[in-house]
Amino acid sequence: MRRLVILLVLYAVMQGIFLLGSAESGVPTLMLFGFLILAAYSVGELATSFGLPKIVGYMLAGLFFGPPGLAYVSKPVIVELAPVSNLAIALIAFLAGAELQIAEIRARGIGILKMMSAELVLCFVGVAAVIALLRGQLPFLASAPGTEVLAFSLLFAAVAVVHSPAATIALLSETKANGPLARYTLGVVLVMDVAVVLIFSAVLAAARALVPPTDGSGGVQMGTVLWEIGGAVLVGAVLGLFVALYLRFISRELFIFAILIALLGAEIAKILHVETLLTLLVAGFVAENASGGHGEKFRHAMERAAAPIFVVFFALSGAKLDPASVLPLWTIVVPVVLVRMLAIWGGTTLGARWAGLDPVVTKYTWYGLVSQAGVAFGLAAVVAEVYPDRGEALRSLLLATIAINQTVGPILFRVALKRSGELKSTG
Amino acid sequence: MSAPLLLILIAALAFLATHVAYEWLAKRLLIVSGAEYLVLGVLLGPHATKLVSPAAIEAFDPIVILAIGWMGIATGMPLQLQRLVRIPAVAYRLSLVEGLLTLALVATGVASAIAYAFQVPLQEALVPALALGAIAVASTPAGLDVAYGDGTRSAPVLRQIEVAQGMDGLISVLAFGIVLAWAHTAIPLTVRALTTTEWVVVTLGIGVVGGTLFHLFLGGETSPDRLFISLGGAIVLTSGAAAFLQLSPALAAFVMGVVLANSMRHPASVLQVLRTGERPLYYVLLLLAGASWNPDSNIVWWLVLMHYVVLRTLAKLWGSGIATWFNGAQQSVGLDWGRGLVGQGRLTIALAMDYARRDLPFADVIFTCAAASVLFTEFFAARFVRSAAAPLLAPLEQFTVTTSAVVDSVAETMTQRFPEWRSGDAPSSDERTP
Repeated sequence: MRRLVILLVLYAVMQGIFLLGSAESGVPTLMLFGFLILAAYSVGELATSFGLPKIVGYMLAGLFFGPPGLAYVSKPVIVELAPVSNLAIALIAFLAGAELQIAEIRARGIGILKMMSAELVLCFVGVAAVIALLRGQLPFLASAPGTEVLAFSLLFAAVAVVHSPAATIALLSETKANGPLARYTLGVVLVMDVAVVLIFSAVLAAARALVPPTDGSGGVQMGTVLWEIGGAVLVGAVLGLFVALYLRFISRELFIFAILIALLGAEIAKILHVETLLTLLVAGFVAENASGGHGEKFRHAMERAAAPIFVVFFALSGAKLDPASVLPLWTIVVPVVLVRMLAIWGGTTLGARWAGLDPVVTKYTWYGLVSQAGVAFGLAAVVAEVYPDRGEALRSLLLATIAINQTVGPILFRVALKRSGELKSTG
Repeated sequence: MSAPLLLILIAALAFLATHVAYEWLAKRLLIVSGAEYLVLGVLLGPHATKLVSPAAIEAFDPIVILAIGWMGIATGMPLQLQRLVRIPAVAYRLSLVEGLLTLALVATGVASAIAYAFQVPLQEALVPALALGAIAVASTPAGLDVAYGDGTRSAPVLRQIEVAQGMDGLISVLAFGIVLAWAHTAIPLTVRALTTTEWVVVTLGIGVVGGTLFHLFLGGETSPDRLFISLGGAIVLTSGAAAFLQLSPALAAFVMGVVLANSMRHPASVLQVLRTGERPLYYVLLLLAGASWNPDSNIVWWLVLMHYVVLRTLAKLWGSGIATWFNGAQQSVGLDWGRGLVGQGRLTIALAMDYARRDLPFADVIFTCAAASVLFTEFFAARFVRSAAAPLLAPLEQFTVTTSAVVDSVAETMTQRFPEWRSGDAPSSDERTP
């Protein structure tokens, strides 16, 4: 009830302030940033009373106050708040890396790899097959030659296999779950994140060979991809060592240091043209494992710094959703979503049995792999950039699919954590 | 190298270097660190190395507004009614006179200096002069913290300096907010043009609503993480709303701080969270202030600057002395406690930045005066406080030393006379009972 009152007061305050705005007032980015933090946080708290994860509440707030709803958070504001999303992604990647300990990789690495590879193959083939089979529903593929159908189906599948490290990390921070299911799910998501960069680049190169882009530009060369990956590992390792040294010898003001490192890592990755996520992931991993036991304090500082950023990040993700785009494409979106889920289930079950994992892990891991968010958005944008005309239609389809996965995924993951008994906090 | 990366790198290095050196400098040399960031900002800015362009500085505008709001709430939070009512009225009287005198003297002097130096009508010089007067009132609490720690200050002179710094913050932020409301010319799109009083009420209203919202938001919450999210959100919303309406973010956030301090069950935990972000934001503010500084070698600027420095110092030193003498309080706080108010810091820079980022007259002159004052007084703020308080504290310290010596001597005699008696392990009544 109190949360509803807060939302109403917030709404009234915003209305009042907009009434007093003048022509010279400009875009109220900062005010809306604060509004999003409070409003999304309130909706997140409200969501928990319905048994939903907070991040679903944050996204719903974004949807409600963003362009699809009341449009308080307009498209220019979303663009102006992009640095917040970038910072969130950097923090998430670092945190994800810091979650991985060498001992854990030794213990669970094989199981994670087996689950990931089985799921990857099934999901990739399954989604590509659905697109190829239902091409009649897509105007730009309906009368296209076989090579084009193959190229675009593969491209679509390469984006569809992506998971959401952001949603996984956020949900694990929220619930404080740390059991085998949580660790295996996180492991698969992170390893897949690295694999996807390679797979997507390879598929894009193949697609460019099959269907050359109209202007001959765009796309990614294999050398560039190798540098993106290798360079990211190198840069991330150096950054991680720096963090580890800091933690060992100074270890003070960790809160501000956490934000600075995330900003610095993202900026260096951008300048050196290496994969941002991977850079920070490696940095987090190296920092955690080379800091001689000081990593936990730093991780906590980073989680604290990330908390308001996460709220805004997921609210902005919600604001970017376009429910109207799902409706016209539902005949293809629904089958794609279902087949993807089925493939994830089949793949993880197969992989887990192959690795001889615990029945709980075998049964529930797939729930945590449905989410999709930031990385998928980014890859969809690359497709649209390389193939401006057909890619844009494919991007709309991808965004509609991501919209459903992004909403349903966290709910499913929470259900799995609850059923497996790993849900410590309901807050 | 890109400007944002450079800024991050330099801010990080400077922050860490200063942080490591901070305690050492503060303890050994009684130096308040901070002003060096201003110099660093100047070196990075368009007037020196040109590493940070004006466009890059403009991109940091939201952070500047946030920092201004943060300094505002940090000034308002210590004003807890429960604590304030325990302070004798004379302390407020002295502080109020000193603050108002500084405001009046600096505003009058600077108005005439601007009118004379720049050959403009006095009316045109009023807004910048009043703004500079408001900025002049502010004094940094960092000096007192470094010189005597940030715990309870029971000595009357220290309490007087502390109360005066709080009062200075109140007068400074309030006067500055009123000046901005007075200079407000934008007409709302949907309602009639508002009067100055109405704009002041709107500013205060934003603060009250921000504070109430935050209070509703948290209830009795003490978890630092949740406090940080909601406090961050509330400050961003309050400062952002005030900035959007071209009002003072510092005043709105200040009011919010007062509301929070007096309505929350655990204001100490909020203060703790507030302090986490205060110093980093101040350093960022100083860096950006330095980078966006547009000084001029024109002699008339020096005239205004001299007026500001001389009149402010006179008002702080003599104003406090005269007020004390009139109230007959020189026995308890002495005549020189005003020295403890000479240092300027975070609030001065925040208000000066707020003035400079608007389309208001003589922005560069006002900013130069404030920045120069911080540059030359903040380093020595702790020494100023020490020089004001030490003569009065010396007899107290002597008394404490003598008392300790007497206690030690009695204890030693007791131990010699009664060897079984030792202060630390005297037998308890249970042990003595057979």
